[in-house]
Amino acid sequence: MTAPPDPGPSFCDRFVELFDADFPRIYRYLDRLTGEPELAADLAQEAFVRLYRRGALPDAPGAWLITVALNLLRNERSSRSRRRRLLTLSRGERAHSDPAPSPEQAAEAEDSRRRVRLAVDQLPERERRLLLLQAEGYSYGDLAAALQLNPASVGTLLARAREQFRALYEERLDAP
Amino acid sequence: MHLDQEQIQRLLHRELPAGVEASLREHLAGCGDCRGRLQSAERTERVVQGLLRRLDHPVPRVDARTIEAMAGAPRWSEWSRWAAGILIVLGGVTVAYAVPGSPLRDWVRTLTGRVNGGPARAPAPPIVPAPQAGTGGIAVVPGPRLVIQFTSSQVVGQVRVSLGDRDEVVVEGPSGGARFTTEAGRLVIDNPGSSATFEIEIPREAPWVEIRVERRRIFLKAGPRVTTESGAAVQGVYRISLAPPRG
Repeated sequence: MTAPPDPGPSFCDRFVELFDADFPRIYRYLDRLTGEPELAADLAQEAFVRLYRRGALPDAPGAWLITVALNLLRNERSSRSRRRRLLTLSRGERAHSDPAPSPEQAAEAEDSRRRVRLAVDQLPERERRLLLLQAEGYSYGDLAAALQLNPASVGTLLARAREQFRALYEERLDAP
Repeated sequence: MHLDQEQIQRLLHRELPAGVEASLREHLAGCGDCRGRLQSAERTERVVQGLLRRLDHPVPRVDARTIEAMAGAPRWSEWSRWAAGILIVLGGVTVAYAVPGSPLRDWVRTLTGRVNGGPARAPAPPIVPAPQAGTGGIAVVPGPRLVIQFTSSQVVGQVRVSLGDRDEVVVEGPSGGARFTTEAGRLVIDNPGSSATFEIEIPREAPWVEIRVERRRIFLKAGPRVTTESGAAVQGVYRISLAPPRG
């Protein structure tokens, strides 16, 4: 077994800085994308583990991390049956729910969340990823690199994705 | 000439070189149509951000040191897979032993009685297997005093403790993540090399339940009073790291 490369102190400092800045937004992005907080946490951690093992920061670390995380997600989905779920659904939901709200408030919040989830899930994959990544403040350069888009048209695609999402959500509102 | 959609979005997200932005803002100052489109794009963005936030869950507390430790940790070798397999089998036997009415208990008692004929030990608390599918776990009636003992610290993984209305202490983790054994007043979770996260639900009415990692106390419920290493519960869950203390 070979030891991981010694990254040196400057890499460590930069890694910690990047981790503190980027872990929450990568986690949030994956959480919104998948709707599975446990999976999102696993994938975000694994992406950073791979970055650390790389021993040097890439030119565009944000885009690199997104690409790795999305590859991990693809692999995860293709080997879903091998995954051991840590928590049952009911326990996971209970852990993340607000203990205080009334039954009516809880039902309303859940209904709203469900509608947003459905609208997100109905977006085409490229638009979904673009919308969610931009919501986390990634630069157009990162978006273009991670999603292999023409950098000159990121803004136009984003506007379209946002409008599409809004329309899908409002369609759900109008539904009986 | 009016701004196109790409320019509107790039203005909104500050994605333009300073010179270009200045010239577009100059245009905006004199063009109500383009100003209106920019404001509309800002509104849409705010609405969409608000909707997306409804999907969010709390960001888990992980720090860069944990990632460094995970990255440096050796990967599973062939022999450790074998060792894990043996542990899983032992865990299964332990749970089978713990099930009320299990014939395994009588067999073991008969065998040990034949070997040493010693005095009977204090009876272990009644145990029932945890009901959740897809996870490994155990449920044990806490009695007047229960110590839940993790035998090892973990580089990653945590224990999530909540108070509930059931009568038993319920411990759950991924199948094969640890071996559970019980004796009077103690539930031992043998977790060397594990990176699992465990969920523990403690009856609200339990008089005294303590959770220890090696020799360190990480959680204590004494009557209604709870003290932990991690501070207050978030949404009813105490999330306590199983990592060794720093420094």
